Amino acid sequence: MQCPVLSTTEARDEAMFRSIRLTAPAAVVAGLLFSTTALADDPIAEKAKLCATCHGEQGVPTQKNIPVIWGQNEGYLIFQLRDFKSGARKNDLMSPIAAGIDPNDINAFAAYFSKLKWPNLQQAPAPADVAAKAQATAASVGCPGCHLAYFQGDGTTARLAGQNHDYLLKTMNDFRDKTRGNNPGMSDLMNATSPEDIGALAQYLAALQIDQYLNQGN
Amino acid sequence: MVSWKVRGALTGALVLGFAGATSPAWCADAGAPAAPVSQEQLNAAAGDANNFLHTNGNYDQTRYFPGKQINTSNVGKLHPAWIFQTEVKESLETTPIVVSGVMYVTTSFDHVYAINAKTGEEYWHYKHAMGPITTYCCGPNNRGVAVYDDKVYLATLDAKLIALDAKTGAIAWQTDIADPSLGYSETMAPTAVNGKILIGTNGGEYGIRGFVRAYDAKTGKLIWNFDTSPENSVGVWAKTDATGRDMHRDIEAEKAQLAKAGDPYKTVGGGVWQNPSIDLKTNRIYFVVGNPSPDLDGAIRPGDNLYTESLVSVDLDTGKYVCHFQFIPHDVWDLDAVSPTVLVDAKDKDGNVVPAVIHGNKIGQVFVNSRKDCSLIRFSEPMVSQEGTWTLPTAEGARMLPGANGGVEWSPMAVNPELGLTYAVNLHQPMTYQVQSSPYPGGKLWLGGAFKVIATEESFGNVTAVDYNTGKIAWQVKTPLPMMGGALTTAGGLMFTGEGTGWFRAYDAKDGKVLWSFFAGAGVNAPPASYSVDGKQYIVVGAGGNTQIDFKRGNNIIAFTVD
Repeated sequence: MQCPVLSTTEARDEAMFRSIRLTAPAAVVAGLLFSTTALADDPIAEKAKLCATCHGEQGVPTQKNIPVIWGQNEGYLIFQLRDFKSGARKNDLMSPIAAGIDPNDINAFAAYFSKLKWPNLQQAPAPADVAAKAQATAASVGCPGCHLAYFQGDGTTARLAGQNHDYLLKTMNDFRDKTRGNNPGMSDLMNATSPEDIGALAQYLAALQIDQYLNQGN
Repeated sequence: MVSWKVRGALTGALVLGFAGATSPAWCADAGAPAAPVSQEQLNAAAGDANNFLHTNGNYDQTRYFPGKQINTSNVGKLHPAWIFQTEVKESLETTPIVVSGVMYVTTSFDHVYAINAKTGEEYWHYKHAMGPITTYCCGPNNRGVAVYDDKVYLATLDAKLIALDAKTGAIAWQTDIADPSLGYSETMAPTAVNGKILIGTNGGEYGIRGFVRAYDAKTGKLIWNFDTSPENSVGVWAKTDATGRDMHRDIEAEKAQLAKAGDPYKTVGGGVWQNPSIDLKTNRIYFVVGNPSPDLDGAIRPGDNLYTESLVSVDLDTGKYVCHFQFIPHDVWDLDAVSPTVLVDAKDKDGNVVPAVIHGNKIGQVFVNSRKDCSLIRFSEPMVSQEGTWTLPTAEGARMLPGANGGVEWSPMAVNPELGLTYAVNLHQPMTYQVQSSPYPGGKLWLGGAFKVIATEESFGNVTAVDYNTGKIAWQVKTPLPMMGGALTTAGGLMFTGEGTGWFRAYDAKDGKVLWSFFAGAGVNAPPASYSVDGKQYIVVGAGGNTQIDFKRGNNIIAFTVD
């Protein structure tokens, strides 16, 4: 019932701003958005349109602290949706939305978004000294050991390259102070990293463009 | 001639890459002329100068190749015979397996290639259809296949065991080993023996309960399971490590935690990363068990955390426990037992030659144990600095050596029985150990802290030969980067190993003199192998770099020979 209402850009923006301002309305909207009455022939694609409210029509998030999910690794998306739904990961916007997702749709949502092309957010490259600091930090705590050589991630590990800068910065700091609690290993690693180094990492990672390195065997 | 062969192999790879855009996971060309592999062949691999049938050469895992056509007098003429480029430019830890002129190699993300071992041309390519859930430590590696009868066996990052038709690469059967969402994954090569396929598991960084299992080679059905953490994992509250050094444990605090929370055996880790050695006379297998979970936080896992950080022997037919020996009880430095065991005959403390099993531990020493009861015979001189051992991790971070990649990582040793030497590759990487406490996270990364490379300090490596009858270092060569990959030794008096810089070298097995070097353009971080086709001996190695230690990536399998 809500889909036609949200079919225009204005309506989506309005819904988003309402969601950002108020958690309770977000839950209501989410519950309606993911209700089965709104389904078309391709249920996941149809349902996923509503995610564009925040994550963007072409995969470019509408806010700087919202993550890119187009092209994100499938296993990572499964784990995050599962954790939002269980409460292991909390977010005023996503938690109520995840609460409305049918558990049987989690894998399908993850598969759907993982196959979309990661957008280029046109974020400015880090200056050389910042990039050097970021690379040294990554080497010290071993970021490429899980996120791999181009920070593309794999499986349940997130792609970081080209992610929204403010989201990267917030996420690493949230891990550091355990505001985000669904990966204690990441909290440990960020706790061992200074805020200054985290800042350098966010700036460096946000500008990485890695299309040429993707799909090399995985 | 060389350039033509290289060109031919490259062309094959390029054609494959083009087809790969739309082709299914499994792509067969003309098929491989794969000869069945009998159990008798597998048993006799140590004396087989034509084939390389096991990841570590033979059931003793000596990585000693009996061929000597390539030797100290002509190794200077060694040159590439062919180069095969895989589709996957990522960490390469595979040991090529060679059966009657057909070579099987694997890559990161669980691809398998069957290659003409004489020319480098591809027969078939299997690309595993990876499930969405993978949780693995240290890179998307795969260390190779096992071969038996008409099949090739592969274990995958999403924790499956797969049998492929050796001629075509088609799946014969596959089975789920464990749930990857709980931190289980596979990077090791399976072992084929007496109709069984043996496999361990990764997951010591994710709070698994480790195991070694035997599956039926024909059907994939589970035959037996051995949990690497018994229901009583407490042990004897050992205060010292295997060398007698005080580990500064707070035993009283651990006992209080045990009374409060119980035995942590269900999530205490204990991965088995590498192949067991197999004593065919006694029907026993010997393997080492990795670190406890979480790596650095011992406070929430009281006790010795058996059988983590241990040598373990079980019965080949039943998986029943025989004996164990723990190197580092209640480890809080991730200095686990990873490099595969090797069976040798070694002198005991009285000078009598006895069946022994040796292991290069991450603490940077070679341990020599009795095969009879797993008891310690001796340990070697340290091959690396052990400065500050055992400094406890702190919340602020405490410096210690070896670093968390150890003095010897997963890299297999090689043993030259004629010289009584074992060859290990070492790392010198100063790190700080920082402890943080968090409860079991249900399959997520669970380190219990962080280890950081100290960037302002020098890191380097060693290639070390140890006399396992005395524990003395026979020779040692320093390398510019920490070493990871493994060794091969041959009856030709040679020892081969590669470096993260891209150099692949042949050493004189007696004295460590470098006799030959080749620059491969990417890290040579895979264990070498050797074989012969039509009377000509080859040395083969992968050059693809390494994820764990972030060495330059590549995608080359390079075979060398002398004309």
